[in-house]
Formats: sequence, structure tokens, C-alpha cells
Amino acid sequence: MNNRKTSVFDGILGDNMVLSSLMVISPVIICGDTLKNAEALSYAFTSVTILSMLIASFVPKKLPYTVKIIIYAMISSLVYIPVKVATQEFYRGAIDRIGIYFPLLAVNSLIVLQSEAKFFRMPRAKMFFSLFFYVVGFDIVMLLTGLIRELLAYGTINGRVADVDLPVSGLSQPFGGFIFLGLMCGLYRWIRSLVSREKKEMRSEPNVSDN
Amino acid sequence: MFLITDLIALLAANLILTQALGTSTLFIAAGNRKNLIWTACTITVFTTVGSVAAYITDRNLPEKYSDYSLLIYTLSVGILYVILLSALYFISRDNFAKTRKYIHVSAFNCAVMGTLFTISRKASEDSSLMNLGSYIRAGFEAGIGFILAAVILTAAYRKLNSVKVPASFRGFPAMLIYLGIISMAVYALK
Amino acid sequence: MVKAFRKERIVWIDLMITLLVLEVMSYFYYGPRSAVLAGMCVSAAVIAEILSLRLMRRKFTADDLTCTSDALIIALMMPPVIDMKIAVLAVLFGALAAKNVFGGRRNMIFSPAAAAYVFVLTSWGRKLLLYPEPHTKTGLFDDPEGLVSSASYIYNTTGKVEHTDFELLLGNFTGPSGAVSILLLAIAAVMLMFRRNISVGAFLGVISGTVLFAAVTPVAGTRAGSVKYSLIMNMVLFASIYIVADRRIAPKREYFAFFYGLFIGIISYILVLTKALENAIVIVSVLLTPFALALKNLEKKIEMADYAERAALRENTAGAADLPEADEKEADPHE
Repeated sequence: MNNRKTSVFDGILGDNMVLSSLMVISPVIICGDTLKNAEALSYAFTSVTILSMLIASFVPKKLPYTVKIIIYAMISSLVYIPVKVATQEFYRGAIDRIGIYFPLLAVNSLIVLQSEAKFFRMPRAKMFFSLFFYVVGFDIVMLLTGLIRELLAYGTINGRVADVDLPVSGLSQPFGGFIFLGLMCGLYRWIRSLVSREKKEMRSEPNVSDN
Repeated sequence: MFLITDLIALLAANLILTQALGTSTLFIAAGNRKNLIWTACTITVFTTVGSVAAYITDRNLPEKYSDYSLLIYTLSVGILYVILLSALYFISRDNFAKTRKYIHVSAFNCAVMGTLFTISRKASEDSSLMNLGSYIRAGFEAGIGFILAAVILTAAYRKLNSVKVPASFRGFPAMLIYLGIISMAVYALK
Repeated sequence: MVKAFRKERIVWIDLMITLLVLEVMSYFYYGPRSAVLAGMCVSAAVIAEILSLRLMRRKFTADDLTCTSDALIIALMMPPVIDMKIAVLAVLFGALAAKNVFGGRRNMIFSPAAAAYVFVLTSWGRKLLLYPEPHTKTGLFDDPEGLVSSASYIYNTTGKVEHTDFELLLGNFTGPSGAVSILLLAIAAVMLMFRRNISVGAFLGVISGTVLFAAVTPVAGTRAGSVKYSLIMNMVLFASIYIVADRRIAPKREYFAFFYGLFIGIISYILVLTKALENAIVIVSVLLTPFALALKNLEKKIEMADYAERAALRENTAGAADLPEADEKEADPHE
């Protein structure tokens, strides 16, 4: 039970695709400067990735690797079209703000690389849950990055003025995204190491008390 | 003097340092220094040849079907992917197993697709760029920019992975901050 | 090892002496606000250093005081009336993001002061590049008034300098509080070079590159004027001493360091000439960090090759010395 839990929920904390493996970081760096952008991008990423992977999971496994990768990329490029139409409905203006990073979500490394290396090796039900939590992990990081960067760079939260004394405008720029994400990755690893150390200590505690 | 101004212009237009395009691929390839440079060179081939496909698509695809450009770009890169793998196989079967990984990593990623979209967007904004020469030049420059970013990362590779770096920041986080500071200096040049 | 540590402290003391002299000059021109700014920067640097060393599970030693010289360099590159919070954020960025994240003073990649300056430039550029006139004393809590562009900006955009040589030597012109006292900087450069506290190669490289290009393609006016003002303006002298020639960053071998400095001098001069970019040398020094690292890697490879060659030679010599002995043994009829 415990093993199953860690493997399915890994995508959120244990093996977060952005903070742990640095996958799909370009949109986080560039578009994660406001909460609105982050929200639109999270929606697009979630829809494109989950739909594409679900459809792609039916592609015969016997095909050569290269052919499968091309088919996956083609599927996600097709899925992108209705998702874009829906985004224009729900998030007006978001596509202009996100620009070229929106179509680029269709060739993200989760679909192109991780599908074969990880997800399609799992049973379909487990794959779906695991994928869902990986996507949620991405969304959490994206929204958190958008929130913090918007607050620090523009002094606003979702467009509403907040009481920030000295906005650091550089944080809204790509270099600000690089540095912010680097610091977040470091913090994430540090917390993870603390948690694993605590777990180890907890595991060793009964032995100590036994003595 | 012109060489230096050209170098500065190349840095200022660098897709990784200014738009973060292909950063994930750069980090995947950063596993070792040799990989990094070879991947960067393969990506240059993809961006340069892919730009020809992007030109043909942009020239012939009607405006109302612009949503399909991603699909056509993907198909073009896919065809190029197969051609390059076949060429590699026929050139040297012995080294095929070793070298094909560079093509696998370089085919579908933000560096290649992002370059095609960036070139296309620039051409739609400035009609003087809507010619094959401009597309190929932009594709090649983007690839060279990727190589430059790889070289910048390679120079600091040893220091960024040193045991002296705190464990939480060793590797990827340190690489991100390092690239961020270089990108900050590039931004300050503007 | 002990010698190396002692050396690091001595370098820091020498640097601090020269920086404090520049700070005194800044106090003379701009009053107590300049000293308070420096004090705030130094305090923030010490606190950031102690905290980050604690997180890295290291002890704060006297060698870690080098963070104070970095903080003082940052303070001297800014206008004395800049918002204290900006200065403190700059110091924190330099100490944490540009230094301790990479392992601190044992694994330096960037000059913390240069990275911090570029950070402020990209976030609060207007506040950083507007200065009070010399002899304008602003109260500690007063809003600065009558701020003007620096003499460097006027020189870069018009090619004119409206100050006498005497004023320029004493630093009586608008600009960063510590980077304008040319006479003091020249004395500091000579002293630090003779005491081997800065990289002589890197320093001379910057000066040579700037002089060469200023003479070949003058910004404006005569060649002599162009050479003179190109060295005085845009913090060239200050940055070449405290940032480019920083021993922690520049390559160890003097001729490698010379080329590193030469490229920085040439590129920053071209940026001033073509884009009128104020204080370009600081930005270029950050941008050419990978070049310094590549040269250091090359140095390491050369050292390794030398070491391997010497070891092989020693082995050969030992082998050769063994051979006659064996021959002698064989030749000895009494054995």
C-alpha cells in the first residue's frame, strides 16, 4: 500500500517534474510571471498532456521507438487545436500573452520522452493516476511561481494591487525566472532531504528504544 | 570590432538566454560535456533544415488554417528525424547505437519547435523576412546560439557539480542560477 | 594550506584599507549618508554570510570576512543617496545567489559585487544611474533632490567632459560615490599590484585593451583625450581593480589573466562606443565569467599535464638510476 502511494503521488512532491527533473521549464521561466498567465498555461498543459497521453497509450507498443515518438508528437499537435479553441473561449487574451509557448506545450518532454521511458510501461489505470499527479505537480509549481513572481515583480496578486514596498521588476524577466526557479529547486531539494532524513531517523528510532 | 558586435548581437538574440527555449534539453544533455556539444550541433542541423520546412509551410498555408502549422511543423521535424537516423545508420552502422541518442534528444523539443515558431512570428511581423534565406539564416543562428549556451554551461560544468556546492544546489539548480546571472548580464546589454 | 589561508586574510585587509580610503573620500563629498549606506551593506553581508554558512554547516571564520569587502565594493559603485533597501537587496543577491549558492568563497564563479550591480541595474536602473552633485549632503531620511546623470553618461552620449584634470583626479564630478576618486584609485592599483593582492595580468589587460581601442577609435576629440577619459569614466579603473582583477575570479597565470582582462577592456570599450552603455565594464565582466572559467580549466589541464610529465620523468630517472646499480651488481665478481 505504502509503495503504491509513493509511486502514484510521486509527481506532486517526491519527483516533481519541474523542480526535480527540470522538465517543461521554459514556460515556467517565461510565462510564470503573473498568476493569470500561469493559470492559462496550467489549463493548457493539463488538457494537452492528459488527452494526448490517453490517446497515445493506445498506440501499438510493437512499433519502432522513433515511429512511436513521431506519432505521439502528431497526436499532441492534433489535440492542441481544440484546446486552443477552448482557451480562446475561457481565457480571452491569454494566447496573446503566452505566445509561442502555447503550441510548444504540445511537444513537452512528458509526452515526447517520459511517455515511453516511464508511463507506458505502467498498467493503464496506474498510468492515468500517476500522470494526473505529475500534471498536478506541474500546475502547483506553475501557479506558485506565477503568484510569487507577480507579487514581487509587479506588486500585484492576480492583477490587484498588493502592499509591496519595493517591487523587483527583474523578477518578471526571463533571467528572473531562471534565478527564481533555481532557488526554488534548491529549496525543494533541501526540504526533500530534510524529510528523508527525518524518515530515516523515525525508522531507526525503534531500534534505539529497543536497546 | 564587427566580430565583437556580431557576437554581442548573437548573445542578445540567444534563444536560451533570452527566451529559455530548449533549456530542458540543455539540462538533459548536460549529463556530460561531450553529450552537450554533440546535442547542440544536432539541434543546429534540426533548426537549420527545419526552418526550410517552416518557410514552405508559412508560404503556402492559408491564414485561416494557421492552427495547423504546429501539426505540419511536427510532421516536418518527424520526417527530418527519420532521414537523419537513416543517414546515420547508413554512414556508420558501428557508431549508430552510440550516436543515435543525440538525434532522439534533439528532434522534438522547445529549442527546435520554438525556433520555428519564433522565425515564423518574426516573418509575420516583418514581411522583408519572408524569404528562404532569412529563414535559413535565423534557423542557423538559433542553432549557433544553442551551441554558445552549451559552451557557456560547459565552461562552468566542473564548478557547478563540485562537492563544494551545497548538496541542495549541486547540479541543476546551480546551472539554472548560473544561466540566470549570465542571462541577466545579456539583458543589461539591451 | 595555512599559508594560503593567511594570504587570503592579508589580501582582504589590503583591499579593505584601499576601499575604506575611498569611502572616506565619499564621506567628504556626500556626507554621513554615504557612510551609513556602506555600514548597512557590510552588516547585511555579514548577516547573510553567517546565516548561509550555518545552513551549509560551516563555521564563520576570519576568511569569511571577505564578504565585507564585496559589500563595500557594491556600496561604492552606487549613488550615495540610493534607497537603503535596494542596496541591502543587492548585497543579499551578491552574497546568496551569486556566491554561497555555488559553495561560497571556496568555489567562486562570479564576482558577487559585479553580479549584484547588474541585478540592481536590471531592476532599478533609473535609481542606480542618477547621482547627486558632489558636496551635496543629503540627510539620512531625506528624499534625494536634484539628481543628475553621471559625467560618464554625458561623455558617452556627447563625447564632452566639462571638468578640469584636477577635479577628475580628486573625484569632484558626478558618478558612483567610490569610483570617481581617480588619484586614490591609481595609488590603490599600484599598491595592490605590488603586494600581489590583485591579478596584475587582468588589471593590465583591461587597461591595455581600453587604451588600445581608445587610441585607435576615439569616442570623440583627440586620441590622448579619448584614452584619458576612457580610463576615467564608466568605472573602468575601479572595476578593473576590484572586479576584473579579483584573484578569486581571474585566471591564475598572468598571461591568461592578461587576455581575460584584454577582452573585457576591448568589449566594454566597444559597448561604450557603439551603444553608449554606462559602466559597461561591470556587465561585461559578468558576461565573460565563462571565459575566465574556461581559462581556469585550461590552466588545470596544463598543470595536470605538467604533473604527469614530471612524474614520468621522475620514474624514468629512477629507472635509469636503478639500471647501472643492477649492472654494477652483476658486474661485481665478488657477489
